[in-house]
Amino acid sequence: MKRPVVITGLGAITPLGENVSQSWEALIAGKDADAPLELFDTTGCRCHRAAVAALPHLPGLRPKALSRLSRASRLAIPAAREALAAARLLDSAGRSLLPVLPLAVSTTAGGMAFGESFVRDILAHKRLRLLGHVARYLPQQQILDLQQALGFEGPSVIIANACASGANALGHAAGLVSSGLADCVLTGGFEALTELVFAGFDCLQATTVERCRPFDLKRSGLLLGEGAAFLVLETPEHAGRRGVQPLCRLSGYDHGTDFFHLTQPEPNGQALVKVMRGASEAAAILPREIGYINAHGTATPVNDGTEAQAYRTFLEDSLNQVRISSTKAAIGHALGAAGSIEAVFALMALITGKLPPQLNLQTPIPEIASVLVTEKNSSRAMRHTMSVNLGFGGSNAALVFSRHEN
Amino acid sequence: MRRLFFPGMKTDLAIIGQGAVTPAGIGITALLRGHPTETMIPMVSRPHRHWPVYRVNLSDPAFERWQREARLRRASPISYYLVEAAGQALMGLDASERAQTGLVIAFSAGCLAYSRRFFEGILAQGQKSASPALFPETVFNSPVSHVAATLHLEGSAYTLAGDETAWIAALKTAWLWLDQERVKQVLVLGAEEFDSVSLDAYQSAGWLRRQRAKPGFIPSEGAAGVLVRRAKPSDAKIISQMEDGFIHRSRTEAMAAGQRCLQHFDSDLPCYWSAQHHWLGKIERKLTHPPYPCPPDSKPPYLGEAATASAAWNTLRALASMDPQHPRLLVPVWGGTHQIGALELECHSPSGD
Repeated sequence: MKRPVVITGLGAITPLGENVSQSWEALIAGKDADAPLELFDTTGCRCHRAAVAALPHLPGLRPKALSRLSRASRLAIPAAREALAAARLLDSAGRSLLPVLPLAVSTTAGGMAFGESFVRDILAHKRLRLLGHVARYLPQQQILDLQQALGFEGPSVIIANACASGANALGHAAGLVSSGLADCVLTGGFEALTELVFAGFDCLQATTVERCRPFDLKRSGLLLGEGAAFLVLETPEHAGRRGVQPLCRLSGYDHGTDFFHLTQPEPNGQALVKVMRGASEAAAILPREIGYINAHGTATPVNDGTEAQAYRTFLEDSLNQVRISSTKAAIGHALGAAGSIEAVFALMALITGKLPPQLNLQTPIPEIASVLVTEKNSSRAMRHTMSVNLGFGGSNAALVFSRHEN
Repeated sequence: MRRLFFPGMKTDLAIIGQGAVTPAGIGITALLRGHPTETMIPMVSRPHRHWPVYRVNLSDPAFERWQREARLRRASPISYYLVEAAGQALMGLDASERAQTGLVIAFSAGCLAYSRRFFEGILAQGQKSASPALFPETVFNSPVSHVAATLHLEGSAYTLAGDETAWIAALKTAWLWLDQERVKQVLVLGAEEFDSVSLDAYQSAGWLRRQRAKPGFIPSEGAAGVLVRRAKPSDAKIISQMEDGFIHRSRTEAMAAGQRCLQHFDSDLPCYWSAQHHWLGKIERKLTHPPYPCPPDSKPPYLGEAATASAAWNTLRALASMDPQHPRLLVPVWGGTHQIGALELECHSPSGD
């Protein structure tokens, strides 16, 4: 990367909390948000559980305005607001101090629940309130909601690379800053649980009816989740002009496509290995310098074995110097937001030296059993952490976070 | 060095390949001169009410070669539109060049037909009967994966979502990857597929109301794309400026957004008009200069409205209308549901380096 990229603000709404600190403390304490799903009827599904986020209060919005916001917007706006506030980019009225602020954002379903309502209504030949639903379901509407709620405009890119999108959005934002195309970018991802997506994963038998057990020999599927996370990325000079101390650097990013199959990774994980090597090279570090990897770890039978094999290949002899966990057993798989939420966790691990435990382990898969985070090895000093994501269609992405030194 | 996201920034994106799938036929000639045929399609909510629509002919022989691809066996129509447009734009690129080619695809609605079918199936037959064959093809990212795998494009690959201006975001993404030297060239595509739910959506937005008056809004579908690289002196057709991010949620806001956008371009630039069948057409007429004077019969036939595909069609049609006597052209991209942007195109006499 040509110019250093620092992170100055974080915000997150997850099933474990309404902000970064609540979510992080619950995660480190080993809590999970696996609960019965009541957002919509799941009677015909195999699975009836998910990790659901509590919608935070949005100050200043009347009930009518609130009713127009999709669930996705109600997750995205407070997360973005927290990130901008942390970076000291909000005025006293909660509006952005930068009237033009580029956005790099990810989602897979946008405001899909509104789209579902629209289809239900037209199939039932209803004619009322159709516009309210159809006009607000496309992903650009959540971006517009965000921009109008926080008072800024500017170029935006909405990346929809399935479950790797969140990492792609952060990497794309970092590219804009490092290449000199922007001095400051708000980036992140959001995802709200919807019936279409839930039934989709359920019919693929990708969701579990038991506990979600990433990297366990008895893993049987994923726990779907939702949430949002946003980060402020900028140059050190841009942050310095406001007297803001960076939290860390986003030092490396790479992405690629695995052509093996639409929904399954290549068994030996070579595409992911290439991406992790690319991200490390961009950060100018060796694999052994990475202290912690927040893994994709969906707990599906196909994904975790491939991913574990990829870590062995990538880390080679230094495998035992790294610690790995997937946080999806705690917060669920937030699809288009997963990459940005998990990046926040990888970054918090770097800052605090604490590692999120691998929940629900009974019989860890042998490839990486020795390095999965347990209570015994849940803290360490680190200079670099990594966040890894894979998605439908073969999208692979890896991010490296590094300590910021003045 | 301050560039892309800074208003007025100049770019040097050379267009070295083109492809198009339209309701008027397949290929650039059809894009420029083909006449689409109207099909009357009923609304879902009011089956007695029909509207004219322009559809791509999926039985066109051009699609046959893709129907034999195992990877595309279950793919959505939009994947076929994309892979065909991509194949045209990549013509002449060998395997090693394809390995260094990035791919960015912009959608507004994405795999709409399969998404509707999947969800309608759930509503009609229950979640137990949800189709595992259909669901993966509803994912926004699936067509990108199909195109990259089928055409062996091994560089970076992104799916972008948004209104018409996602086309500009895709071109900017290509520019970033070229600037980072991640790839040698990037294939940028816009595509949409029609589904009958679109009629209900457009009708509830009020966009279909004037269809019997002239000019009317006709829903459409298809794809188009450009293969781009950093310009060399020998390149004749260049995207020299890209602006977007001027947001609106009403007609009044759209007028102001258009003004903010266009102030970043030379005020005397002739404009390629593309919104004359669209609710933003009046704003286009107010804010921009008319297009080049040209004989009435040289104006390409109307292809209907297909969001990102329309943005791509308009860019290619604008390019085709240029020559060294008319070396600069403004191409506004009127995003109907989020923002307004614009491109400046240049047509050079190749220096032949």
